[in-house]
Order: sequence, then C-alpha cells, then structure tokens
Amino acid sequence: MSGSRLGVQPGELIDRDRVVRFRWNGAEHHGFAGDTIASALAAGGVEVFSRSFKYRRPRGILTADYHDPNLFVQVGDEPNVRAGHRLLIGGMDVTAQGAWPSLGFDARAANRVVGRFLSPGFYYKTFISPARLRPAYQKILRRFGAGGKIDPTTPPAHAGKRFAHPDVLVAGGGPAGMAAALGASHRGARVMLVEENHHLGGHLLYGGPESEATLAELRALIGADDAIEVLTNAVVTGRYDHNWVGIVVIQGGEEQLVKARAKCLVVAAGKIERPYVFAGNDLPGVMLSSAARRLINLYAVAPGTRAVVATANESGDAALADLERAGVEVAAVADLRKSGSLLVRAKGRGRVAAVELSGGRTIDADLLVTAVGWTTSTSLLNMAGDRPAYDARAARFLPGELPDDVLAAGGVVGDGSIEAIVDHGRVVGFEAGRRALGTRATWQRLTPRAAPAPEVDPEPTVIPRLPAMPHPELFAGPTDGFVDFSEDVKGRDLALAAAEGYDSIELAKRYTTVTMGSIQGKLAGVNAVAVHAAATGATIAATGTTTWRPPYAPITLGALAGVDEDPVRYSPLHDWHMAHGATPIAAGQWIRPDHYGDPAREVRNTRANVGIIDVSPLGKIDLRGRDVPRLLEFVYTNRWDSLAIGGVRYGVMCAEDGVILDDGVTARLEEGRFYMTTTSSGAGRVWNWIDEWLQTAFPTWDVKTTAVTDGYAAMNIAGPRSRELLERVASGVDSSPESFPYMNARIATVAGVAECIVLRIGFTGELSYEVHVPAGYGLHVWEALLAAGSDLGIAPFGLEAQRIMRLEKGHFIVGQDTDGLTKAYTPGLAGLVKIDKPDFSGKPELVWEGEQGAPRRLVAIQPVDGSVVPPEASQIIAGGRTRGRVTSSRMSPTLERSICLAIVDTEHAAAGAELTIRLPDGRDIAATVLEHHAHVDVDGGRVRG
Amino acid sequence: MASYPTRYSALALLRKGATRSDWPRAWRHHDLRSSYDVVIVGGGLHGLATAYYLARNHDITSVAVLEKAYIGGGGSGRNTAIVRSNYLTPEGSAFYDRSVRLYEGLTEDLNFNIMFEQRGHMTLAHSDASLRTMRWRAEVNKLGGIDSEVIDPAGVKELAPAIDVSDRPRYPILGALWHPPGGIVRHDAVVWGYARGADVAGAHIHQVTEVTGIDVADGRVTGVQTSRGAVAAPVVINCTAGWSTLIADMAGVKLPITTRPLQAAVTVPVQPFLVPVIVSGTLHVYVSQTARGELVFGASVDPFSSYSSRGSLGFTEGLAGHVLELMPGISKMRLLRQWAGLCDMTPDFGPIIGPTPVAGFYVDVGWGTYGFKAGPVAGEQVAAMVANGTVPRLIASFGLERFEQGRLTAEKGAAAVGH
Amino acid sequence: MLVIVCPHCGPRNSNEFTFLGERSTRPAVAATTPAEWRHYLYFKNNAAGEEDERWFHVSGCRRFLDVERDTLTNEIRSVRDVGEAAR
Repeated sequence: MSGSRLGVQPGELIDRDRVVRFRWNGAEHHGFAGDTIASALAAGGVEVFSRSFKYRRPRGILTADYHDPNLFVQVGDEPNVRAGHRLLIGGMDVTAQGAWPSLGFDARAANRVVGRFLSPGFYYKTFISPARLRPAYQKILRRFGAGGKIDPTTPPAHAGKRFAHPDVLVAGGGPAGMAAALGASHRGARVMLVEENHHLGGHLLYGGPESEATLAELRALIGADDAIEVLTNAVVTGRYDHNWVGIVVIQGGEEQLVKARAKCLVVAAGKIERPYVFAGNDLPGVMLSSAARRLINLYAVAPGTRAVVATANESGDAALADLERAGVEVAAVADLRKSGSLLVRAKGRGRVAAVELSGGRTIDADLLVTAVGWTTSTSLLNMAGDRPAYDARAARFLPGELPDDVLAAGGVVGDGSIEAIVDHGRVVGFEAGRRALGTRATWQRLTPRAAPAPEVDPEPTVIPRLPAMPHPELFAGPTDGFVDFSEDVKGRDLALAAAEGYDSIELAKRYTTVTMGSIQGKLAGVNAVAVHAAATGATIAATGTTTWRPPYAPITLGALAGVDEDPVRYSPLHDWHMAHGATPIAAGQWIRPDHYGDPAREVRNTRANVGIIDVSPLGKIDLRGRDVPRLLEFVYTNRWDSLAIGGVRYGVMCAEDGVILDDGVTARLEEGRFYMTTTSSGAGRVWNWIDEWLQTAFPTWDVKTTAVTDGYAAMNIAGPRSRELLERVASGVDSSPESFPYMNARIATVAGVAECIVLRIGFTGELSYEVHVPAGYGLHVWEALLAAGSDLGIAPFGLEAQRIMRLEKGHFIVGQDTDGLTKAYTPGLAGLVKIDKPDFSGKPELVWEGEQGAPRRLVAIQPVDGSVVPPEASQIIAGGRTRGRVTSSRMSPTLERSICLAIVDTEHAAAGAELTIRLPDGRDIAATVLEHHAHVDVDGGRVRG
Repeated sequence: MASYPTRYSALALLRKGATRSDWPRAWRHHDLRSSYDVVIVGGGLHGLATAYYLARNHDITSVAVLEKAYIGGGGSGRNTAIVRSNYLTPEGSAFYDRSVRLYEGLTEDLNFNIMFEQRGHMTLAHSDASLRTMRWRAEVNKLGGIDSEVIDPAGVKELAPAIDVSDRPRYPILGALWHPPGGIVRHDAVVWGYARGADVAGAHIHQVTEVTGIDVADGRVTGVQTSRGAVAAPVVINCTAGWSTLIADMAGVKLPITTRPLQAAVTVPVQPFLVPVIVSGTLHVYVSQTARGELVFGASVDPFSSYSSRGSLGFTEGLAGHVLELMPGISKMRLLRQWAGLCDMTPDFGPIIGPTPVAGFYVDVGWGTYGFKAGPVAGEQVAAMVANGTVPRLIASFGLERFEQGRLTAEKGAAAVGH
Repeated sequence: MLVIVCPHCGPRNSNEFTFLGERSTRPAVAATTPAEWRHYLYFKNNAAGEEDERWFHVSGCRRFLDVERDTLTNEIRSVRDVGEAAR
C-alpha cells in the first residue's frame, strides 16, 4: 500500500503537534494542521479521490496542487473544492464527487466495452429517432452530470469586496515574483504580490538546501518591506482592459474579491508540469514529478512503495532523488532524454500495478512518476492580448508581444538557475516600477488641482534575456491515453474528430470538449494541440493555442456578488407609513405605501372629504437663470415663453424620434426661478437630458439645473375639503379660488415651515394642492396636516388609490399607457404639440406624425358589463387579430363600475365604437369607447373648483 | 437532395464501435471556384442554414459559404442557446414560432442530434409593470396559438424550487411568464448539423476564407474578393453578425447597426437542480443548467459599443449579484469561464432581412441578442426570398427600408431584456 | 473597467460614466427630410477602430465629454469637455 507518513522532512508544512480530525465519505480520518485534504487522505492510504466524468474511471493524485483535475471533492455544502489546495480544518465533512454508483465500484468491464462506442460527439449521432423518446434519453444523460451537489437552501455567503491601487501587481509568488516585488519596491513603487499557494516560494518550497536559503532570504526581505503587500492563498483571476485586475482571496470556504487597478502588471506565474499521453496514464499511482515532490517534501507523505520514474528533465531527476531519500524503492528509471527510451504504458486494475518500458520491459510498481515537460502559464498574458508562440526547441509556448503595462518574469519567459531567475525577476520588477511610477505621474498631471507630479526616470532598464532551455518534445507516447482528465478525452478522440472534419483546434475543442473542464485546460491544453496537430499533419506552431478566457481560476458567485446591493430609496415619511399600517410596494427604486388597508375606501374618502398622499418620489429639478423659458420651449412640445410668475403648466417631453420621454408640471416661482417635476422613474433621465442639451447645443444659455428630488418631501392633499385644510396650515398665501386658481403655484409657510412650494394641480381629478417642503421638515408638515384635518375627515391614501383616481380622471402614465414607440399624438396630445415653434426636441417626427395621423390612439373605454375588470394587457381583438390592448383598468369606487384606458388602432378609436376584449381566461367581453379620457370629472369642475 | 454517406444512428454507432472504423467527414474541403450562383458571407448558423435550405427547398446548390475563421466561431458558438417564441408582437411571435417548430424537427431533419430540450422558459416579473408586460406577451402569444401563460409565485416555486419567491423589498417575484415549448439546444450541434446537411446537398463550405471586398457594377452585385481570390456571383448574402456593417460597407450599403459585446459565462458543473430556463428582464440575467450540470448565464449587452470580445470583470460581478438575488442558495457555485460575442444592435431591436439598394445584395443581419433562436427560420425565409425573388410574408416587417420610413417594429414597445 | 481621464476630475473608472454613442450632427430642423433626419437618428459609422463618441460623467462632474476611442482595443486617445471643443 502507498501512503504512509514519512519522518520529518526539512521543508514540511505540517505541524505534527496539531492533529486534525475530519470525515471522508463518512469515515473518520485525521491529518495534521498544514495538510491539504488530499495530503491527509494520501497519508491515510486513500488512493481514489474521484471517478471520471464519462467513463467513471477511478482517479487519484496527479499534481497534488491547486490544478489537480482529479481532486475535486465536496466539503459540506460546498461543491467542487480543490482537495490538493484546500487546507484541512477540524470537523470537515469531505465526500467524493461523481462517485456514481460508488467510489469503490469497479466499472472496468463497462469501461472496456462501452468506451469504444462513446466516441467523441457520440451524442450527436444517436437518440435521433423516435423523437418522442428523446426526453427520456435526456433525463438519463443528465444523471451523468459531473460535479458536486448544491443545496439551494444554503445560506448565502457574501464577503465585501476590496479595491486596491497598487503601482505594481505581481502575479505569482515564486522566486521570480518575489524578486520582482522587491525590484519594484526598490524603485519606489507600492507593490501587491499575489500567490495562489498558502506560502510564498513556488518551487523553492521543495527544492532542497540551496532553494531553502534563497527562499529564507527573499522572505525576510519581503517581510521587512512595508511597500509590499502579500496576498497568499489568492489567485489573480483575470486581467481586463486598462489593467483592471481581479484577485480572489480564499479563506477556507469563503472567498473575497479584490479589484486592483495595476499601473503595471508583472506576470510571474511560472510553469505548470504537463502530463504525458500514454495508455494507463490516468491510473491512480501515476503522477507528475512535481506531485511526488510536493507530497514528500511539503507533507511528508510517501507517494508509493515501489516506483518507476520516467524523466526527461531536472524535475524528474529531483523527484528520483526525493524518492530515494524518502526510502521509496525505485524499481526502474526511464530516462526519456535518451533515444530509444520509452514509456509505453501503465498497467493495472483500478490502480497502477506495473509499468511497461521500451522493449517490452515490464516492471511491477505501485507508483509511476513522469517528468516530460512544462506548459508556460500564459493565460494572464493571453488576456492582455498576447498570442504565445510555440518554441519547438524548448517544447513549449512562450510569450510574444506584450502591452507596455504588462511584463513577464521568470519561468513564464525562460529557464535558468535560481540565481538567474531571481535576477530576471528583480530587473523586471525594477522596470515595472519605473513604468508604474510614470503612469502615476501622468495621471497626477492630468488631474486638476493635484500636487505636481514627480519626475520619473525616462530611461528603461534593459531586461536580461532568460532563454528557454532545450527540452525534448514529449506529448504523446507510443500508446494512447487521456489528454484531458476532467473531460475524459483521449488522443484517439481528437484524431477521430479531426478525421470527421473538426480539423481546427477550436472546432476540435468544441466537438470533444477537450480543455473545457474545471481546470480549464491548464494540463490538457498543449497536449491537445500537439495531438491535434499530429492528426491533421500541421505543426504545433501553426495549430496554435485556443483562447484563454477569464477567470484564470473559478471564483464563487458569492465573492463576485459581494455585498453590493442595488439602491433602495425611501421617502422621509416612510417610517410613519409603516407605523400606520401601510402595505409597501416597490415602485422602481422607491418603496412606497400601496395602501393603508382598503384602497377603495381611501378613494371614497378623498372624493368625499380630503385625502393625503406622500408623493416625495416625484422627480424635482430646480431651474434658474435668464434662459429657462428657452430651455422649456425646447425640451417640452408645448409653449412656455408666456408662463407668468406663479403659473404652472403641464408638459410632455419627446426624444428626437418623437417618442414620449416623460411628462410633468413645471412652475414659474420667480422671474428666473422654475421648479420642474418629472415622473419618479424619469427624474434622473430628465435631468441628464436637459443638461445634455444645455452643454452640447446651448452652452451660452444662462440656465443652472439642480436635482432636488431628495431635498423636498412632497405631499398631495386632495378632495373637496383640501382648500379648507390648506387655509388652516398655510400662511403667506391667499387660498381663495380667485387668487390661487388651478394650475398655479405659490411659495408659502406651511405649519411654520417657510419656503414651501404649493402647487395647485389635480392628478386625482379633485381640488388638490401639492405641498413640497424641505425634506427634514416633511414629517412635521405631514403630521400637522393630519392633525389640522382630523375634523375634516382626512385620511392618508396610497399609490393604489392614486392610480384608481388618476384613471377615473383619465390621466395617462408614461410607460404604462404609452410604450417605446408612442409619439405625442397617440395619447391625444395634439393640443400640446406646437409645431409652429421653430425647434424643439423631436419636432420633425411630430410634424410628420401630425400630417399622417397617429396609427394608434389612447382611448378611455368601459366594459358593457361594469362588473368585469379586464386585466391590464388584455387584448382588443377583431377578426381574430389584435387591434390594441387595455393599458390600465380598475374597478372605480366612484362609478361602481369597471373603467379602462386602452391603446387601439385608430380605426377603432372613435367615440362610441364597440370593441371586443379577449380576457386572459379566454372569454370575450364587449366594451365601448368614450368621448373623453376622463370617466369622472369630465368637465373639470372638481379640479378647477 | 443527396443522402448522407453514413446516416447517424445508435445502430451505426454500435457498428462503428464494433468494427473500429472511422466516420466520414461531416463536411469536405473544396477548391474555391471562380463563380457560384450564390455567395453567402459568414459561416455561422444563419449562413449555413441558408445554404441548406437553398439546396433542400429550392434546388440551388451552386452555393459558397465563406467563413473567415472556422464555422460557428462567431455568435453561433457564443450564445446561450435558448430557444423560445413568446415575443411581444404578432409578427415577432409568428416568426419565432416557426423557428421553434423547425427546431423541434431539426434533429431528424438533419440526422444530427441537436439536443433540443424543451424544459420550459420562465420570465420572472418583479413589479406590476413587468407583470403587465408578461400578460401582454401571453395574450398576444395565445392569439397566435403559442403556449404561453402568466403563473403566480407558487407556480414559479413548483417549477423551479431553487428560486427564492419569499417577500423582499427590491425584487419581489410577483409572477412569471411561463412558456413550455421554450428550451435549450446544443448550439454547436445546430451549426454542424446544417454544415453537414449543406455539404451533402452540394454547397461548398470554405473556412479560413475572408471576404475583403464586394464587387458592384451599375447598382448590381457581381461578386466578392476574398483572401483566396475573386469569386463571381449574381447574389451575395450578408449573414454576418458583429461585423455586418463592415461587410455592408464593402457594397456601399449603410446599416443602422452598432456593434456591442454580449457577455456570457458558465459555472463549474454541479448535479442537476434546475430544469427550466429562468429569465429576469429587470435583473438583466438569464440562467439555464446544461445536461452536463453547468449553469449557463447571460445578461444584457455591454454598456458601450466595442468590437472587443475580451469580456469584463464588472459583467461577472453584476451577473453574480443578480443570479444570487434569484437563487441565494448557490453562492458557493463557481464561475468557470466567461466570454463575449458581438451583437448587431438595431434601433428597434428587430432584425434586418431583405434586399438592399444594391441589386442581388441581401442582408440577414441586425439580430441583436436573438440571432441563435432565429437561425432555422431565417435560413428558410432568406433561401425562399433569394430563390423566388420576393420577400416572404413572415419577414416582410423586417426590411431595411423601415428605418428611413420611420416604421420601426413594435418589439421596441416593451424592450425588456428577454432571451 | 476602463480608465477615462476626465478633464475635470482626473482618471476615473468607466462605470462613473454613461456612454451616449457616436457623435452625430443634428440636421437643421426647418429644412430636414425624413431620410436625413432618420439617418441622424439611426445610422452610425460603427467603425472597427477609431470612433468619436460622447460620454457623460454622470457620477462625477456631470459634464458631457467628447472621447476618441478605438473600438477594437478600447484604447482611449483623447477626452475633452464638449465646451472645450466649441471654444
């Protein structure tokens, strides 16, 4: 059996004094603090960690780090945890994924027989007929779904995000990255150093005495440098436009997103060891040299008892030395650098039992270590626009052209001694610091009122060449094996795909799904290219790589979401409403009282006595200056130059295509002071629209705009007794109908609050006054009005009662009774479109619509059977086709019958026309078109009274 | 119409497996001829479907499909593969209904399993206003014979238990538009199925063949210039997306299109827990779970125009926030990969299909974010238009002339995102 | 997230800004034709490369800006206040 804990290793990361207990598939296990889940399980003799996606083959440790495709496990409610990276925590409940029917079930018979029929893309070629059985096939296929389990009742895990503004961001905390951080800091830059492992050091962590000395020195220097912030257990997930960099910091099962604007990015991500394609390469017990070295040196775990080492480089040689030092019997060494020396296949059932080398030589072994080459970790460079080029001599892809704000250091670029790598990193960091300080200075110069920018050294530092060393081109051996462990794709699958016509690497990727699994092709990518190239007869260089897409490593939705929430807005009166029985409703961003129990009663009370509604969400814009009338003439379709002080006018704004943008009333409070109201949802849009015209078309006009939506609380008192109420609380204003008529505004003192704006307008079809008071006094005025009106029968009403009353009055709502194609003539606003004005927004379209006539009209309609309220959006039909729709409908408490607004084709819009409404339940009802939009207060007597 | 050298079937799979023999090429390489009857620019779903229907329905087989990279590499391979027909307007829903019906028969028609799973399509309503729009769509759909209805929050919970329908202030779920025929397809399979079908019928598919110019003489198209030489043709059809204005510019035709990236993303797979396709227009997100167990996400187009398909971090942040608003229990799922495709955005969100002022030069462009679900019907109708020389009724309201005439399609009326 | 160097506020993240599209010239209203007006409304160059755009620093100084940007690379060549161009 493999997997026993070794004696103390010089660089081990475990703390043998702290035993950590956990469960694996229900059984008790233990490890030490500092163990990963995988190292603890391996120490406990576990060999099979998962079953493969397609063939359900048993899989064991391959890389023993973050990128191991075979080590995805479920931890509690967290799926797809990387057991080669996640540290052990006491009490962890770890289970295997994809273990159907069970982890121990030996499905080798099925593998051997079925495998031949599961050729690439087999699913495209079967389940074709009969069609009626396809849903059943689809259900069966879904049972093969990979991955862990999600419990949708899991409480959400969100962490707040962090912004960072480093001068230089270094991705990768190996020797080159550590040196780069120091180099940049030496130049005066602030540095963020990000390392995916739990410790800085990269391969120095398991490199022997020389490595240890270098590592200790680099760590000490970094630890003493205040300008370097180190993030370990953190992954740079992506490099986006303008060096916007995402980093995920992992803490146990929690992740935090850090967003950094790096003035210069240094990619020191190193190299990833590549597996070899040969028969049996996925058997548990076959692992990479770096995996064996990690297990022995970092976790003191013997990866096997009797090993075969197939090596083509110094990493394999070092693994061989490690194995021997650890007391693992090395049965054979295949030096693949020597011609004729081959690794033919690994044999075994469920795990490796023997290894076949050149000449049919078969050696019994429970461990096969391979060291056949490297893949450059270029994905961050690729995201920065680089297309890596293949270097056949070094048998790997190397970076090409990089933008000025991205540099590469260390193993990404080439090979060398530890000293050479450190030196390269240091110089790259030094130059990165210079560039970053240059950008910092440029930005400072471009910021008005900023301190003067410091001088920056204009001379670039020459970065020494770090040549990539020759390496034999070893991708696929003499037998076929797995190219992609995540996706169960073999070399033969790629060859078959190419023969079928999927003969570009991108098509082959899509057809076989090679590289599309959970480790994103980090191990499979270059082998896939090499095998595909061999199948098509093209070179690896010509075949090229597929595109690396972010994120570099998967990141939880919780980390991406963070705690950001879309804004919710409350009126200053909100707490009062909630304390008085209001039912809240979301109206865009605003939370408003829908009603206080019974909207119909609220309507009846308002029509009989007086009601009060909080309309604070109304958009409000303060307009000042000599040229405000010119602005209003331009943005509204009607006339404004004649508006007297104290006057109020209703207006409609159209976009340049003539479509209604918003509506509202605007009051002239003083000679050069106007007060504009907009719809609640349109407030921001209208403010921006006005400012755009002022800045781009009329820069010389004297107009100042200020959004004051949140500055004023607004409340509407409506009903026959509203004037009486106003008289009791307002001073400085004569409320008589003669001196304060309909569509007028006054500045008044209300309940002792000076500078309130009172507008006499009538959205509800009642005598009504809208009182706008400085927001801090909103509650005071609201309560004063309620107190003063108690004997008048005052009661608050909510949004629903207001909607009913405005519908009774026939007022349309932009966005409900109009839509994205409704121009001003459709809702019957001909009187408000003054085409004799020389210019206004949208004028040409309105002129043409006026000439041609609107194709549709907004009309008031009443169902013949007044007890039926056709739901909004019910279709108006004739001849089986839709001719319009009900846009608003309610039961009118005032008329005790149903009432509607509808948009209909103009030919059906004449007063008295009979319409057929198709209800959602399929019934048809009859309705009649009214002459006016108003159902109540048709003559305007109430509002004008 | 010629038949496939080897039909795909379970039996054929067994036979090939037993004899270990290879499958024939799904489509072949050809030399580029100096002339074709029809040149189609763009080897995506629309171009390949057009070639297929030209041959199958109209016996027009002297057809070249010119693709600058590899087939299906643009929008066809970058969309989220959702198919539905619950559009707002009678013209829109009739058009997409035809597409759904073609999709339903496509696996057998093409002898290629496109894995169309009609799991149902659910569009959530978070406000009175969106509930009203849902009902509007449902009522228009019902009149057109399309299965579409408004359901309440309990119905949402029953069909998709992972959705949080609890009461909350900002984005409560008040109901949904439920469209049972909607679903997801394996998008690449549709491309490959049409390519194989077009190839066997005689069309030439030329990959890595970039169109560099369009020849026009006396107001009539005469051919194209390509990276592999000139090709004469009396009919040239622009079936590109993202780059459609650049192709049309070569013929001197202006299109009212701006190019915007549309991003999408996929998670690491988990065991199946979500059956229907979930859409929230208000939150700009749509979600489905593939047969492999990945969640596939899409959103609205990027906030500014661009020809870059690099993707952004902000997209994934907003996406995750909105997905968790709907399904708070999946915060530990991990985003695996993000990508972007280029979309042709038109002023009214409707496509532009039809002839242009240059005789013989047709366009099938402007698909915005809807191109994939329209592929089969667009191919069928464009083929009919080219073969018969008249614009079929089903696409009559999508002509280029409508913009100058100010007759925009009414789908803009309620331009909620809805995929 | 692009960096846009606002002439009033300095370098800022692009999510502080609203993109308003390619700049276009408004025809003279008195003399315009439907074809001309609708080209102004609907037809843009949509260049793959250099584009003259309008952005709005909505979460900043609220100034409208003329921006030259490359639509292939998202590189920003220049940012000016609309008033500066007119001056």
